[in-house]
Amino acid sequence: MSPKPIRAKNARTIAIQLDHRAASCPEGVTVLRAAELNGVFIPSLCSHKDLSPFGGCRLCMVEIDGMRGYPLACSTVVQDGMSVLTETTAIREMRRDILELMLSEHPSSCLICTEQAECRENQYTIRKSGVSTGCRTCPKDGQCELQSLVEKLGVSEIRHPVYYRGYEAEHDDPFFDRDYNLCILCGRCVRMCQEVRGASVLAFMNRGPKTQIGPAFGRSHVEAGCEFCGACVSVCPTGALVDKASKWDGKPDGAEISTCPFCALGCQVELHHKNGRLSKVHPHLDHEINDGQLCVRGRFCLPETTHHHERARKPVLKRGRYFREVDWPEALEDVASRLRGLEAGDFLMLISPDLTNESLYTAQKFVRSVLRTNSIDSTARWALPGGTGVWSRLFSLPISIEALAHADAIIAVGLDSRFYFSVAGVQIRRALREGAVLVTIDSRDSNLARVADHWLRSAPGMEGRVLRAMVERLFSGDAGAAPHAAAGCGIEEVSLAKAVRSIASCRSLAVVVSPSAFAVDPGGELAEALFRLEGREQTTFLPLMHGTNTRGALELGALGELLPGFEKADDAARVSLADVLEGRARPKVLYLVGEAPFFERPPCEYVIAQDIYLPPFEVDAFLPAASFVEAEGTLTNVEGRVQRSAAVEHLPDGARTGRVRPDWMIFSMLAETLSADGLHFANAGEVLCEISRRVAGFPASGDRRPRRTSPTVDILPRGAGAHPPADSARRLIAEPGGFRHRGIDLSHVVEGLSELRLEEGLRLHPDDLEELGVKDGDRIVVHVDGMNVTGTARADADCAPRSVTVHRPHAYGGLAHRQGLQCLYRFDGRLLNVTVSGHRNS
Amino acid sequence: MEERVLTRNIGRPGSETLKAYRDSGGYTALSRALKEMSPEDVAERVTRSGLRGRGGAGFPTGKKWSFIPKGTGKQIYLCVNADESEPGTFKDRLLIEKDPHMVVEGTALAAYAIGCRRAYIYIRGEFVHGARVLEGALREARAAGFLGRDVLGSGVDIEIHVHRGAGAYICGEETALIESLEGKRGHPRLKPPFPAVVGLYGCPTVVNNVETLACVPHIIERGPEWFASLGPPNNGGTKLFSVSGHVSRPGVYEVRMGTPLRALLDEQCGGVAGGRRLKAVIPGGSSVPVLTADDIDVALDFESVAAKGSMLGSGGVIVMDERTCMVKAGAVVARFYAHESCGQCTPCREGTPWMERVLWRIERGEGQSGDLELLLSMCVNIFGRCLCPLGDAAAMPVRSYIQRFRDEFEYHIRERRCLAAGGFS
Repeated sequence: MSPKPIRAKNARTIAIQLDHRAASCPEGVTVLRAAELNGVFIPSLCSHKDLSPFGGCRLCMVEIDGMRGYPLACSTVVQDGMSVLTETTAIREMRRDILELMLSEHPSSCLICTEQAECRENQYTIRKSGVSTGCRTCPKDGQCELQSLVEKLGVSEIRHPVYYRGYEAEHDDPFFDRDYNLCILCGRCVRMCQEVRGASVLAFMNRGPKTQIGPAFGRSHVEAGCEFCGACVSVCPTGALVDKASKWDGKPDGAEISTCPFCALGCQVELHHKNGRLSKVHPHLDHEINDGQLCVRGRFCLPETTHHHERARKPVLKRGRYFREVDWPEALEDVASRLRGLEAGDFLMLISPDLTNESLYTAQKFVRSVLRTNSIDSTARWALPGGTGVWSRLFSLPISIEALAHADAIIAVGLDSRFYFSVAGVQIRRALREGAVLVTIDSRDSNLARVADHWLRSAPGMEGRVLRAMVERLFSGDAGAAPHAAAGCGIEEVSLAKAVRSIASCRSLAVVVSPSAFAVDPGGELAEALFRLEGREQTTFLPLMHGTNTRGALELGALGELLPGFEKADDAARVSLADVLEGRARPKVLYLVGEAPFFERPPCEYVIAQDIYLPPFEVDAFLPAASFVEAEGTLTNVEGRVQRSAAVEHLPDGARTGRVRPDWMIFSMLAETLSADGLHFANAGEVLCEISRRVAGFPASGDRRPRRTSPTVDILPRGAGAHPPADSARRLIAEPGGFRHRGIDLSHVVEGLSELRLEEGLRLHPDDLEELGVKDGDRIVVHVDGMNVTGTARADADCAPRSVTVHRPHAYGGLAHRQGLQCLYRFDGRLLNVTVSGHRNS
Repeated sequence: MEERVLTRNIGRPGSETLKAYRDSGGYTALSRALKEMSPEDVAERVTRSGLRGRGGAGFPTGKKWSFIPKGTGKQIYLCVNADESEPGTFKDRLLIEKDPHMVVEGTALAAYAIGCRRAYIYIRGEFVHGARVLEGALREARAAGFLGRDVLGSGVDIEIHVHRGAGAYICGEETALIESLEGKRGHPRLKPPFPAVVGLYGCPTVVNNVETLACVPHIIERGPEWFASLGPPNNGGTKLFSVSGHVSRPGVYEVRMGTPLRALLDEQCGGVAGGRRLKAVIPGGSSVPVLTADDIDVALDFESVAAKGSMLGSGGVIVMDERTCMVKAGAVVARFYAHESCGQCTPCREGTPWMERVLWRIERGEGQSGDLELLLSMCVNIFGRCLCPLGDAAAMPVRSYIQRFRDEFEYHIRERRCLAAGGFS
């Protein structure tokens, strides 16, 4: 147990002496931090700003007046008037001794090699090798904290006999490799996994010189429940833990701060690039959103998504039975010829909510001003259950991610933060460490339910009603509460009352609602409860939805019925995605921009796809778009922050690099081909300027403060609420899948994600499987709504009992194996009674 | 024969039963304390008795108890350190197996004195029999009303639990013991905060040795002055010594503090076995510096032994006769500490295995000329620079063996064989 840190904002400043010089620092920080704040370097390999002091490396020993021996800077709290010596002869000697001891067990031949200089000069590329025997054969060469410390402190010989541990390097788990021969046992990864991420996958094993890091009981990381958030890799000071994908890239040339393109939290990332190519992604220390944390997608999936061998990089036209790679002018001319002279109702553009603000805006402008129709639609609609009216009002609430970390009480509805929105989970944990109360409302088990003070386990689909009952009770107190507000939800009256009492006296409250909760709440009770809470003081919200820029799509008019800035559009002859899916409309031309919500080619005369991958069906024209690292732009996160998405790959046109263009530029070029005005932009910045002129409150550049909308859209009448399930039946929960990016499912292009098999199959609670007499991996048949759907059963202990969960993807690219489940995907929101029968695989 | 205090029941048949313990006056101290004394009185008596911790460090027990902050509103915990793993030490095991009620009564008295309602006896995992005996004693005591709710009608609740360790020496270090008791890996904690402020489950905690607590009933019963008078100033009471090695009668002996080491060895243990010459004595468990045969007139109290450059430690006396190879002895000791290092801090994790390897290298006759300097510099590297005292415990003996028997080490390196008669391997 370490002393509880005094929160920085309340700390007063105290005066100390650092190496005989007067210095000042806030009260309550450690000597190490105080030195850092005053620009004094104290070496340490085990301390980290987010972690409790460990005292393992012993490098930060200092001398303090009035204290015996050599106290540790990392664990000693500064006192007023303290006098610290950070570098004396004795200390320097000791540090060198300790480094020498570390190096005696760390493959370090290069560090003390006499031919170091020549070697570096002549063989500057690192060698790809199975085992690292020295720095030149280590993936962390040039980025290693131990290496730089050895150089700084000048260790040039090792008196102890050198010893190689001889562990086998571990390559079996996805995303990162481990070579514990290089480990110096600083314990940062273990503490990160336990204290910050709450996953507790990593632990110390064995003891003494045989101490090793890894999941307990010899399990693999996958088996131990690793989230692959990569937080351990980010804090590893040596080459023991390294990204698989960028392992042999060497030291990056530089890094650009950008926004993660994979979800609506908009985490700030550092895009490290090497030779003009994205190498790896590190979390940025942006305290407003992610504060140095990411999830598996942001940490590991960017390079593979943009560099995948299936990336389509050249325009393609269908010529008879063949497909031909063509130049841009030819492609544009072909597409333009089909777009000329279309009647209203002949055209539909589907545009992905993962695109940048600039592209979304230009797309809708192209459709409206060049093609003169409002037929633009997006799967963003699927991410906004309840309708645009509800969400435009939700976005007017005070939404904050950071507030989670400072809340006194948190209500989390339906959130499992391991693989989705995991940064929100990290912030919740931060609040819990400060003593916050957590109430989860969830029919499923989740990583947050395990640490919650109260877990209200409702029946599936009843989360909204429970939240509403809670809110009512919060305002009216125990006495005025309707006695059976939560009746039929599977919650005992007592536990509801208890949960409410535990948060009633808390000043600040944060409510976070996950997309899976919204998805099974057709009655809109969740939103209703949130609106009811709006007036409460110090209350913040976090209504989450899938799709990176879904909020931008809504604000900028990518949904046909709304113009940019929530103005209502003319409804005449507008074609929507639902019209096409349900066969009500058959537009002649379908223009898919980063969207592929079909397994088969839709029945249209001419299909245009504009994406970074080819869609899973034949199209007539393919226009290659630039990916998130190839073009500049901005993304709007859930809080309304307009954040920069940086380009680190500036590719010239070529045989290998292809001829990709930013989406907005493609629309601009098309407009030019069609001789239309008003869409000529020189760069993304010009588009943003126009948006800021058109949409009130939208910043022109560089301002990433959160924004609240002022909604003017009517809320549609809400649908029928969910019914408690019939006794004998199971419920079908069609959850929105979260691993999308544009027209592809990430688990198709990122091999590691597919190994985790997170969104696959028909998921049932193990007890249910046992009752059905089937095992994980067996085929089962789900009878629903007069149909029989066959799929693979997956045991998932988190599932609600007596339910079948299926993930409903938004993009079908690469998901051919899920085609059999397609008819289940249309059951969005509604809970259906199903019966399940299973048979064993022989 | 000296007066036996802690071992007075040992040797009697059925000494581990409640009946035998009560027949010899057991639990009178507890009932008297609960009826007549306030917790402060009990603590004050222990302070006046000059009782010092028997686990090794010799910290005054009363003073330790006084560090518990008052009025924090938090639970106060007492942990009994029965993780007796120091090589050469086996006194607590005797008390636990043969007179568990004395330990229980002492624990209950200490709990009363510091305001603890829940005490834990952390017993070494290998003491399977001891744990069973203790469990039995606790059951008996509970049934007789000496433990549980409202002990002897005093309105005080005292519960004691036995927790078995999993076989790690480091868990005898008090903060590692607390971590282990909390269900975590036995890693020592950074200090400060000390356990008296932030201990078990973040609450104020006292950790006392078994023998220390076994003294408490006698102090309460017969008075602090009597206890203090048993030894020299600041070293009250009698002390158990576990004598092992080359003596005629090894075993656990109870003598007054301040008894000369020579008297213990010659009069009680029958001298060196086989009439051989004495070479060296480790007075307080394998972690303390060694004494040469010239030093054995030292009085066995904390200050006198410290004046000779060693420590009274846990009272584990290991006797080595003239045939003993000090290089091998050093290597064996180093092997133990390297094996038991927890792996948390660098000097101990990396330094102790190197010490072990270099010592075995010398022992095998493969020593090199700079090895002694290397070993001594490693001792400097480890001593006082580790997270917990385990590193010191490894460095101290090795350093003292080299300093006091340097000729023998040099002979080993030079001649590649052993100087000690018959001890060459």
